[in-house]
Amino acid sequence: MKKIYTISIILVLFAAVNFAQDSTAAKVGEVKDALTGLNESYLETKATVDALKKIKISGYIQSQFQSIESDGAATFAGGNFAAGMHNRFMVRRGRVKFNYDNDLTQFVVQVDITEKGFATKDAYVSFIEPWMKTFGLTAGIFDRPFGFEISYSSSNRESPERSRLFQTLFPGERDLGFKLEVRPQEGPLSYFNLKAGLFAGNGVNPETDNNKDFIGRLGFSFPFVDENLAIDGGISAYMGKVIVPAGKSLITVNSPTLATTTIPSDDADRSYLGADLQLYYELPLLGRFTLRGEYISGKQAGSSSSNASYTAAPSGDIYLRNFMGYYLMWVQNLGEKNQFVLKYDVYDPNSDVAGDDIGANAAAKLGAPDIKYSTLGIGLVHYWDDNVKLVFYYDSVSNETSSKLAAFNSDLKDNVFTFRIQYKF
Amino acid sequence: MKNIIVLLLLAVFAFGFTADNKVITVKGSDTMVILAQRWAEKYMESHPGITIQVTGGGSGIGIAALINGATDICDAPRPMKASEREKLKARYNTLGVEVKAAKDGLSVYLNESNSVKELTLQQIKDIYTGKFTNWKQVGGKDAKIIVYGRENSSGTYVYFKDNVLGGEDYTSTMQSLPGTAAVVNAVVKDQNAIGYGGAAYAKGIKYAAVKKDDKSPAYTPSEETIKNNTYPITRYLYMYLKVRPTGEIKDYIDWILSKEGQDIVTKVGYFPVK
Repeated sequence: MKKIYTISIILVLFAAVNFAQDSTAAKVGEVKDALTGLNESYLETKATVDALKKIKISGYIQSQFQSIESDGAATFAGGNFAAGMHNRFMVRRGRVKFNYDNDLTQFVVQVDITEKGFATKDAYVSFIEPWMKTFGLTAGIFDRPFGFEISYSSSNRESPERSRLFQTLFPGERDLGFKLEVRPQEGPLSYFNLKAGLFAGNGVNPETDNNKDFIGRLGFSFPFVDENLAIDGGISAYMGKVIVPAGKSLITVNSPTLATTTIPSDDADRSYLGADLQLYYELPLLGRFTLRGEYISGKQAGSSSSNASYTAAPSGDIYLRNFMGYYLMWVQNLGEKNQFVLKYDVYDPNSDVAGDDIGANAAAKLGAPDIKYSTLGIGLVHYWDDNVKLVFYYDSVSNETSSKLAAFNSDLKDNVFTFRIQYKF
Repeated sequence: MKNIIVLLLLAVFAFGFTADNKVITVKGSDTMVILAQRWAEKYMESHPGITIQVTGGGSGIGIAALINGATDICDAPRPMKASEREKLKARYNTLGVEVKAAKDGLSVYLNESNSVKELTLQQIKDIYTGKFTNWKQVGGKDAKIIVYGRENSSGTYVYFKDNVLGGEDYTSTMQSLPGTAAVVNAVVKDQNAIGYGGAAYAKGIKYAAVKKDDKSPAYTPSEETIKNNTYPITRYLYMYLKVRPTGEIKDYIDWILSKEGQDIVTKVGYFPVK
């Protein structure tokens, strides 16, 4: 009887163990299936997240307070003051940039939203060939490939505004066209890059003629990593034309006594040559600094009242002036949070005449657009955190004086103080 | 004008120079995080007035933190990219200071039961770009290759892509994991898996011996093969700073490069630079 009991118990236990093993195997199978499902789900989610990661949104807002020496003064520090006003609040820039970055191809749109309205800043496509990753093409509205200051972002620039020289020659910095970029990835040529293209020549405004302006820059960048020294620079050229309207004259204002007036058979020249250099190094005790300089000279096609580049089809006589301008800028780190800024820029819109030449003879057709300006800027930049920076900046502006030109008998009251808060993300 | 200059000078002093403190922050590579923690622990034992905070997150995140001013030191197992140096230049007028802190053999992990013992660089590339999907294509059994790798914020991910894949994209079937330990863990559990990462993490798996090409001898990562650069995927482990170090940070870097600091490199499983 005992044997029967024992055998029965063994059989029951054996069945129980078998059942348990079957049950465990089934559960392991279920878990495996669940894991496979999770893995498939993860791969699908990853593909979606990878696609979304290509969409990049960035932007910055610059809000500022400014005070200028006299009511309604003209200034390059963010646009002229309104009549009767010598201080103001303004949103200088309110940028939002959308970038779909597919590694070698990019879609970029940037807009500017301020109290003045809504403006397009960038709208371009660009791609890099996949084999050597050396040649790239960009088409649309984007920064002109000339010099350094144009392409140096306003969110990074230590002075509130670009030099008068650049604001005059390249209003809005951008133009409509295409450019080829050559940037070798390896070997000695990787220290050099070339950007060159053809542009409409009207800034972000629609094209108004058949002329295409050539703009190009051959740049270099020598990083001496062990010495923590960087020397960058380049030479740039602008070769363009401005149409002289039918029945209008080309007036070359290069003499203190008599302007040369012709009815041209060809369009007016707009041609600049420039060179730029940037040095990044360290001063004993003071720390890291950068020294930047840029020089441009050439022929500028303007009007009787302005030496600025045309951004629309001209309607009057074209005034041709030989110009020259440069800036020097020193940015000194003061610890990690502060930078001291000193900038000096000069723009002589007519380098053939000076002082009392201007306004002395009506036949010379010289006036306010021929007056030379220099600006000494001094400032402090404080980086509050990763996103916020504060800028305190004072522009001391000096103009050439002429006893023959009533508005310029003395230095204008147009020094301006700017306090800016920037948020960037 | 004088008033404005006085105001500016006052502003300089009001904001002041960044006050030095005795907290050193280290952020970056997950590959280097254990090494960085061991250095920090040992250094703090003998320097009780110093606190060293170490966090991982990946080299890309560490370099971004360096650029944003959120860390004093960034650890990275790859050289800084030109685009990253440009950002440092724009914000701090510097190219960054590079310190070679240790050497590593970027290892290819296989499950211990895998019959494959060695791979050429080309075979590794073919597996990770998706050209080879079955172990029999590289002399193993007939089984699907399960590919594990790192996330794209990882310096190891970038180094492997640039130096082994020749810049080509990883296969879309690669499962990206958030750290080298996770890659090792996945390879331990899956007999058909392959992964990559630092030599210091290899527990419970085996290294694939790596050959430059068919005709070259195969090497596994070891002190000797990494020191004499015969192991084909040898790399430096870097520390990056914004500017030349001074004060407590300089003392810490000097200590890392001293015999005591380099002994810890060996103990953790990497290789000294000297």
